[in-house]
Amino acid sequence: MTISPELRGEVEGLIQDYALAIDDGELERWPSFFASDCLYKIVSKENFESDLPLALLLCDSQGMLADRVQAFSELNVFGPRSWRHMLGPVHVTDDDPVTTRTNFVIFETLAGKDTHILCAGEYRDVIVREDGTLKFRERLCVYDTTMIPNSIVRPV
Amino acid sequence: MAEASLTWPAGNDRVPYWIYTDQGNYERELEKIFYGPVWNYVGLECEIPNPGDFKRTQIGDQSIIVVRDQEDGVNVLVNRCAHRGVKICEQDKGSFNEIMCPYHQWTYDLKGNLLGVPFYRGVKGKGGMPKDFSMGENGLDKVKVHVRNGGIWATMSDETPSFEDYMGERILGYYDREFDGRTLKLLGHSRQRIGANWKLMLENIKDTHHASLLHVFFVTFGLFRVDNDSKVEMDGTGLHTALSSIRGKQELNDGTKQMRSFHSGLELKDPNLLDVVREFPGDRTVVMQTIWPNVILQQQSNTLATRQIVPMGPNAFELHWTFFGYEDDDEEMTARRLRQANLMGPSGLVSIDDGQILERTQEGILAHPNAEGVVELGGRDTEDSDHMVTEVALRAFYKGYRNVMGI
Ligand code: FES
Ligand SMILES: [Fe+2]
Repeated sequence: MTISPELRGEVEGLIQDYALAIDDGELERWPSFFASDCLYKIVSKENFESDLPLALLLCDSQGMLADRVQAFSELNVFGPRSWRHMLGPVHVTDDDPVTTRTNFVIFETLAGKDTHILCAGEYRDVIVREDGTLKFRERLCVYDTTMIPNSIVRPV
Repeated sequence: MAEASLTWPAGNDRVPYWIYTDQGNYERELEKIFYGPVWNYVGLECEIPNPGDFKRTQIGDQSIIVVRDQEDGVNVLVNRCAHRGVKICEQDKGSFNEIMCPYHQWTYDLKGNLLGVPFYRGVKGKGGMPKDFSMGENGLDKVKVHVRNGGIWATMSDETPSFEDYMGERILGYYDREFDGRTLKLLGHSRQRIGANWKLMLENIKDTHHASLLHVFFVTFGLFRVDNDSKVEMDGTGLHTALSSIRGKQELNDGTKQMRSFHSGLELKDPNLLDVVREFPGDRTVVMQTIWPNVILQQQSNTLATRQIVPMGPNAFELHWTFFGYEDDDEEMTARRLRQANLMGPSGLVSIDDGQILERTQEGILAHPNAEGVVELGGRDTEDSDHMVTEVALRAFYKGYRNVMGI
């Protein structure tokens, strides 16, 4: 599947900017990466492959995204940490709508502790244009990690 | 590390920290508790709906296989080849016709009986098994199973009372409220590893008042709060607890005024998350049961789950969550359960706080085996309570624990 180099550049920009926003802790930007009609899910590969619908985190509206941002940034109790998303190349699997798969690994460093791998997996995205900008209509984060080290305290 | 005294302070209102950190104590726990006269939770029938379906899980440190046989019976087998000890099954779940060890291909049926040994009669008249080798005595180790309304329980001891007696009438009543005989529908799993002693997870649920302080989300939306109408009920041993409550309002009152984490102005932008429907008889909106020794049975609003606690040495445990609904749920109910599942699990709006705080507890006590924790809230007794401003379930728990451990 090929798309124009301009469009590819734009798609890659969206995916990279998203990771940067999370790693920089700018969670308030998170909902803005999504279309007004959206679905965000973190799903284990175990559930994904068995067609089990449970998500680790599920938001099916802009409101739910915003509520999560509030919970992560004001309500939940957890220690300070940094995150680094490592992204693989973006693989385009369809062009209408633009559908992509991108590998990710997230390194997490807790204050005063070693860096560990929080999770590894892939984004399965459906990307649409809304008001001139590319947005995720769907972002499915399928993670391979069998045992999450404690908790996931930000959007993946 | 400081040497543990291994003695218990006087009374039930103090808990010594060495019980969470001492390796020797952990090993005694495996023998006396997990491999002793208890019913361990090992899974749900809806995880293995068809003959041949299996899941792998753990009792204590031991890997086990839970498998449905051709006659529709549920078997629990130790995952260790009878020949030379190979861990036969590596997958977490799947389906098989027979169980074959890859090393020398001994095969077993789904009840664990030994079916075949290659070269049994030798080759060209040479070798083979001795004539008196008993196929019957060399199967996989079998663990006693009990299935009740979709829940699968297993025990390694011959001295375990019947499941019903083990639970006691009251706790069984709560069990049957959630596992009411309807076929369960599996929604999915999540798994996390928490760097804390396994007992701290049980305590966390028995510790009713932390929810009003630690969990801003619960507090603010009244899902579980000290000013709610609540009950803490124990079985005769003090080891099982049922905690039940009725959801309160988002209002400022005598209780919420004392909670720094109460936000009267907080609002969900998408209130769909808390679009709760009453589905169980009675007025309780949440019932959390801790069933000794390894599971929490959760009904919080419409999110139902089992949380299996798998101990990993004294300083860590895994928490295996299985979310479910009922076969007769309509699409709307399933969607509701899945949305409310956001409260729980490794990224739960509420349970993130617990995972974090339990690890900090372990870090806090690790170097202090002979210091002790205070559990005096609500008095020093171990009787049932009609409110949750109390640590009574912890006192009762440790009374029961000391009995089991002989300490
Ligand atoms: S160890 Fe299993 S067949 Fe030999
Ligand atoms: Fe909690």
